[in-house]
Amino acid sequence: MRNAFSDALMAAAKSDPRVLLLTGDHGYALFDAFRRECPAQYINCGIAEQNMVGVAAGLARGGFFPVVYGLAAFVPVRVMEQIKIDICYENLPVVLIGDGAGFVYSHLGNSHQSMEDIACARSLPALQVLSPGDRYEMSACMELAFRLRQPVYLRMGKSDRGDVHGGPVRLESGEMLCVRKATAGRALLATGSMLRTAIELIDEGLDAEIWSVPSIKPLNLETLQSIAQRHHSVFVLEEHSVLGGLGSCVSEVFASIPGAARVHRIGVEDRFSTYCGTYDYLLREHGLDGASIAQRIADPDMRKA
Amino acid sequence: MAKGGEFMKRFDATSLRRTILDMAYSGATVHIGCAFSIVEILAVLYRNHLRFDPADLESMTRDYMVLSKGHGVMAQYACLRELGVLSADDIGQYFGDGTRLKGLADVHVPGVEATTGSLGHGLSVAAGLALAARLRQSKQRAFALVGDGELNEGSIWEAVMFAAQFKLDNIVILVDENGFQAMGTTDEVMSLGSIQRKFEAFDCEVLSVDGHDELALDEALTRLLGNADGRPKVLVAKTVKGKGVSFMENDNAWHYTRLKSDTYAAALAELGGEKV
Repeated sequence: MRNAFSDALMAAAKSDPRVLLLTGDHGYALFDAFRRECPAQYINCGIAEQNMVGVAAGLARGGFFPVVYGLAAFVPVRVMEQIKIDICYENLPVVLIGDGAGFVYSHLGNSHQSMEDIACARSLPALQVLSPGDRYEMSACMELAFRLRQPVYLRMGKSDRGDVHGGPVRLESGEMLCVRKATAGRALLATGSMLRTAIELIDEGLDAEIWSVPSIKPLNLETLQSIAQRHHSVFVLEEHSVLGGLGSCVSEVFASIPGAARVHRIGVEDRFSTYCGTYDYLLREHGLDGASIAQRIADPDMRKA
Repeated sequence: MAKGGEFMKRFDATSLRRTILDMAYSGATVHIGCAFSIVEILAVLYRNHLRFDPADLESMTRDYMVLSKGHGVMAQYACLRELGVLSADDIGQYFGDGTRLKGLADVHVPGVEATTGSLGHGLSVAAGLALAARLRQSKQRAFALVGDGELNEGSIWEAVMFAAQFKLDNIVILVDENGFQAMGTTDEVMSLGSIQRKFEAFDCEVLSVDGHDELALDEALTRLLGNADGRPKVLVAKTVKGKGVSFMENDNAWHYTRLKSDTYAAALAELGGEKV
């Protein structure tokens, strides 16, 4: 998935010299090829994210297409106000990449974990929010982000969980991708790393329809309406806080659909991580491992003690 | 002196202050002292240094004027009125319901390059504009006017480091050193010591002048702009908050105070002598 990201970035930069990569001194190894092949389009802004976003706004106003790269804890969360005022208010074509979202930096603690970036980003007018679930979605999201020519936040979470799609997909704003069909009953809506988890649950015998949601903002209301009315229960899976994330988005939409399915938000409850450990350990700590999610789906009203 | 007389003809400072006063009175607005301190700086910039076409404000060859201290925006509006970019109605109906001019600089107003007022934003945008010009091999310059209080913001120093690192000698940072910020003097609130030395320590070329002496401002800008040595340019303009109206000068209350009929009349009387 990270290769898909850097390949798409490099292809965009090679085909258009106006594409610039700005990084806040992050991306060791990830940008080696980019620095080698597009050195004039690589701008390391130093460890100064506020300035980096303002500079990106100036570059965009000056005719360029900046891609601003940081860890999700910093881009977008640390620099929300710069994104709001400098980029979104002017509707500038800037793509913001938040890497390591969710529990990726499990051993480093809460400063580098990011459970609130979707909630923050989706509240800003003009900002589209993308969250790919495998390498094919990553390629499609990057293609869409460059095609849109408007502010985009692309959330990059755990990236080595394997493919979901069998080959390239094409994505439009708001589009949801049906990954497993089922006639009626339960649907799982998953984004980012949780897409792979949803597929694994099906492979283990769960009967449910699965939709991937790589475009969190906007959302396709017609698709959501169809899902809301065909199923009795919809489980939203995300490696993000249940406050303000995809689960919240779906709940908000379903609230105005007559006879809509019940929404069950499965994500990080409103708390920080307590312990250090592997990525898989932290998923378990927060009840986001496959077994815990299967249990929750089997008994939706059960709450973790 | 003939040159001086010619030089002063357009963007007459007293006339600009009168426009500001009229706006502030019609809109019952604050930030009068903050606008008055930067009048000569903007007058000299618009008159002698900014290269742009008022009929084509989005031209890709224009110089950029970023008012980072967005609360001084009435001074910029007064200049844009002088250029015919803004109308008499814009001035007369300031702060009316449904009008377009806000109390802080807004990028959707013609001639305004960045949305500021949240301090510490404009200089980074200006640095991006300057870098964009550099990358396009354009001769454009980016001017950013910051307040001395605004220098409290850490992002300002991020931007200065960036400008120095990327050798942006096509950026000119103008510091309005009026010695006050919202709640007191800059020394009382967050003293910066010598602003000139601070910027020099960040590898900028810095000149300091009287910010109300238009000839001095002009000469300093000419000198800075003529020295393409890779260093960002800084002009520290020592100014008087509320300059031009005796009872407003160095009285920080005029950061917040609104004009009433008597104070408006008194201020107008002081500014009325050179009515065009």
